[in-house]
Amino acid sequence: MSLMTMIVKMSEGLGKTCAIFFLTLLFSLPLGMIVALLRMSKVKVVSTITRFFITVIRGTPLMLQLLAVTYGPYYLFRANVSRNKLIPVVIAFSINYAAYFAEIYRGGIESISIGQYEAAEVLGYSKFQTFMRIILPQVIKRIMPSVTNEVVTLVKDTSMAFTVSYQEMFTIGKQIANSQTSFMPFVVAGVFYYIFNAIVDYLMGRIEKSLDYYR
Amino acid sequence: MADFNNMESMGGQKARNILAVNALRKAFGSLQVLKDISLHVEQGNVVSVIGPSGSGKSTLLRCISFLEKADGGDILYDGQYAVKDGVYATKAELNRFRTRFGLVFQNFNLFPHYSVMKNITEPPMIRGENREIVTERASALLKKMGLEGKENAYPCQLSGGQQQRVAIARALALNPEILFFDEPTSALDPELTGEVLKVIRQLAEEKMTMVVVTHEMPFARAVSNRVIFMDKGVIVEEGHPEQVLGSPQQERTRQFLRNYQR
Repeated sequence: MSLMTMIVKMSEGLGKTCAIFFLTLLFSLPLGMIVALLRMSKVKVVSTITRFFITVIRGTPLMLQLLAVTYGPYYLFRANVSRNKLIPVVIAFSINYAAYFAEIYRGGIESISIGQYEAAEVLGYSKFQTFMRIILPQVIKRIMPSVTNEVVTLVKDTSMAFTVSYQEMFTIGKQIANSQTSFMPFVVAGVFYYIFNAIVDYLMGRIEKSLDYYR
Repeated sequence: MADFNNMESMGGQKARNILAVNALRKAFGSLQVLKDISLHVEQGNVVSVIGPSGSGKSTLLRCISFLEKADGGDILYDGQYAVKDGVYATKAELNRFRTRFGLVFQNFNLFPHYSVMKNITEPPMIRGENREIVTERASALLKKMGLEGKENAYPCQLSGGQQQRVAIARALALNPEILFFDEPTSALDPELTGEVLKVIRQLAEEKMTMVVVTHEMPFARAVSNRVIFMDKGVIVEEGHPEQVLGSPQQERTRQFLRNYQR
């Protein structure tokens, strides 16, 4: 198989790689905020349960979580394994990344000085207005570098979907590597991820820069 | 303490009390920070609160601005109970009471992601005021604070003294009946305190009702109608600034002022 054929075949899987990537961000970024808020809840039971959830998600391999979400329903309920693997893959990724984002958000929220809340309160902002207008924008600026880290990791983690044979770029590459006994597909995959992340890096840098107008 | 209050009110017709506090109590754990504090501020008056750190001055200010929840006592604004016997008015009512006062913090607490203009205009707009009217008022306030041309600057581009003046403008933009200052110059370089004190003095001349927690004794003496000396959660002495700062009656006050002059 020529290198060109490999590249063409693998790039056919790029759509699915992108699907995992964008859908995971779409769901995990807001979900992470919910988890962060639950984690900081003043209700002890809520924060404790959330904390436990986070330790489980962060303390077990993503690969295992992918397998659990994809095949778990079958072993537990004899439910059919869904034919569209994108759904369980995105669910597993979203939950996993939400846990990481939650901790990043929490760090950001807790780094905002209490004085910001007090000023807003005295000036008549509601709790919700305070969060949306005063706290969140400052949190976003502060956490951008950490979020960029996670997003870059996510690009590479999409390759994990091969464990449930979801036909994204890396899974295809791995299959080609096996059938052709060639290392070339992995090199191609590496280049793909690198380019993908170069774009991510550039875009995140732009966002960071756009928040540079204040300290 | 009660005697001083009586002495004050004996001297003539009853002025309108913008703020009245009766027997205010506050404890942090087992530490009584405020022990039955009573005070009142008449319209157009400036009351300075002095005292050593830990005396409860800031807590007092934080209680009357609802940032700290008092354990007991009353807080009245213009004769209306915001807190009665330690029981607070409803959330909505408290929010209406909040429009009556403004608070200026020691470390300004400006919103760093907002321009100077937005820092001042957003709070009134959140309360439903019209943008144009608010913008006009903000411009006038900035001019008064000597900050023309800084409308589009961000707080990080300003000096501490300028930031504090923006914070004062922000508080004034809500048209409060009374303004509270919590050590407004303590976080400033000594050379910058003057510009902030000047602005507060100017407000005093315009008969703005104010309570100022401060360590600036000459300022307190020059500007206030009344000085309150607090220590260990009680008002030790209060009265005319010349009396409290010039010829204090209580040994504790004398001691504090002596340490102050060094």
